[in-house]
Amino acid sequence: MSNTRNIRPQVLLTVLLLILPLLGLALVIDIIEVNLAERITTLLYINLILVLGLQVYMGNSGILSFAHIGFMGVGAYASAVLTIPVQMKGLALPDLYPVLASAQFSPYVAMIAGALVAATVATVLSYPLMRLSDAAAVITSFALLVVLHTIMVHWSAITNGPRTLFGLPKATGLYLAAFSACTMVGVAVMFKESRTGLLLRAVRDDETAAAAMGAHVSVLRWRGFILSAFMAGLGGSLWGHFITSFSPSAFYLKETFVILGMLVIGGSLTVTGAVVGTVTITVAFETLRITENAVNIAQILPMRLVGLTEIVLAIAMIAILILRPSGIVRGAELGELAVFQRFFTRAMHAKSTIEKQQEESKL
Amino acid sequence: MFADSSMDKLSPPYLKDKGAKLVVDAVSVEFDGLRALDQVSLEIATGEILGLIGPNGSGKTTMVNAITGQLIPAEGRINLAGYDITGLPPRNIALLGVLRSFQIVRLFSNLTVSENVESAAVAGGLSRRTARRRAQELLQEFGLWDYRDQAANALSYGDKRRVEIARALAADPVFLLLDEPAAGMNEVESDVLLELLAELPVQRGIGLLIIDHDMRLIMRLCHRLHVLASGRTIGEGDVDTVRRMPAVVQAYLGSDAYA
Repeated sequence: MSNTRNIRPQVLLTVLLLILPLLGLALVIDIIEVNLAERITTLLYINLILVLGLQVYMGNSGILSFAHIGFMGVGAYASAVLTIPVQMKGLALPDLYPVLASAQFSPYVAMIAGALVAATVATVLSYPLMRLSDAAAVITSFALLVVLHTIMVHWSAITNGPRTLFGLPKATGLYLAAFSACTMVGVAVMFKESRTGLLLRAVRDDETAAAAMGAHVSVLRWRGFILSAFMAGLGGSLWGHFITSFSPSAFYLKETFVILGMLVIGGSLTVTGAVVGTVTITVAFETLRITENAVNIAQILPMRLVGLTEIVLAIAMIAILILRPSGIVRGAELGELAVFQRFFTRAMHAKSTIEKQQEESKL
Repeated sequence: MFADSSMDKLSPPYLKDKGAKLVVDAVSVEFDGLRALDQVSLEIATGEILGLIGPNGSGKTTMVNAITGQLIPAEGRINLAGYDITGLPPRNIALLGVLRSFQIVRLFSNLTVSENVESAAVAGGLSRRTARRRAQELLQEFGLWDYRDQAANALSYGDKRRVEIARALAADPVFLLLDEPAAGMNEVESDVLLELLAELPVQRGIGLLIIDHDMRLIMRLCHRLHVLASGRTIGEGDVDTVRRMPAVVQAYLGSDAYA
């Protein structure tokens, strides 16, 4: 029977319907060969990984986390330290510890390592925080972001302090970003459908009832948080090897609100929402940026137009929170939409209708 | 990597042996000096249905909360088949096989009906595949199969109640404590529920404790009754004996006269 199979067809369908357009986009962008489009699309995939990572924790646990971008920074710096060429390290990171100064790995190995370092840091730091719910949890996650940021600014040996760290080999291309993002779509959906994901969603909806049936609230949240940090670390490493030089300010409030805005507007309950939000906001941002540039170049207004994207994001977030608090995509994943559900259950419906008609004709 | 959540699994299978007892011994619960329960003792054995009745505010829900660990008793012990479970966190008590429903339905509102039931089986240590099979059986048994893919918050109140009971059963309980399972149900729904509940002790070998104000349901369903008023036991025994106890009659008439 189909419903006792390990993976429901709706879940596979969701993954396919989300991944295929993403891969298709990469192909189209590769074919048209416009540098700007390729850059924007690569950043779209990297942002998508960050948004998916946030969805894994926030969407399934229902707890807003501000710390996410901090783990992006951990991943980026970990990967940087492992990949900046040895001969450049004297210049880029003069105070680096000798062990690390002589180390140089392939960027692809370092990206995985960056993700693992972020996950490890999350494992150690977050367990005590997982007992908190609601406002207390949100505030401590914000404090965690500030702590991570402060460490990045002051740990000069590893991060070059508040100054720009440069010299990362460029290793992230369009296809690597696209492939990673698609993999993470699969990971996020599988986590949501896993035993931990199911119980975490139960805890999100009613902590008391979930505990009363045996769910271990803090351990469930902890697992979600670690996976979330892993994905943030991966996103950070990919971003680092795309942009090749950055400073700690890249991993702070501005990026936090962009990623958060993408998830909230798309809808945090679903992986589909994370994808829809990322794509929507990216398209909106780029359109606005082009408009802004055009207006400034044409000198239509007496002053320079700045900050349009930020203002529009803010307004969009407020509007969504008022009009549609659960985001553009509410409860159902793409593969669970009514139109597909109807397909899965059509046979059953047809059968019951025939039976009903037969009964009526008997009467 | 993230699939296994059976940490600290305690559930000793022999608890389900016939004759296992849940014993509440002289338990008192206090809220800011107010005694919500005062030295109440009761016993449930597997295979029987105990009705816990009493006027509003008599401490029935408090008793369920104390047994399942949502409240810690000020004095007294709670013993499950020889294990002292007093003061254990709710999660451990659930894993030992004592499950409950809530007076005000507490479903996982964004989860589907099937996921609600599956989640309890998963919390008890089952794989998703096995959990889905168990949920399917329970949903069919409880007449909820047609709603399996609907969000739980889209159901009617009576259906939500049945989902909550099915969910508790999915955790494979030894003792099941139901706090007003028939509240908000019409007579037809309540009769269907009654039949389902009456079969549970024999069919699954579990002990049931039922709180309800529907005396028709209680009288037809329960083997024994335990009556509380103002946090104290005012009567216990089989249905016919309790029904004739002067203190019980007075407590009920008294509360009705004021209502």
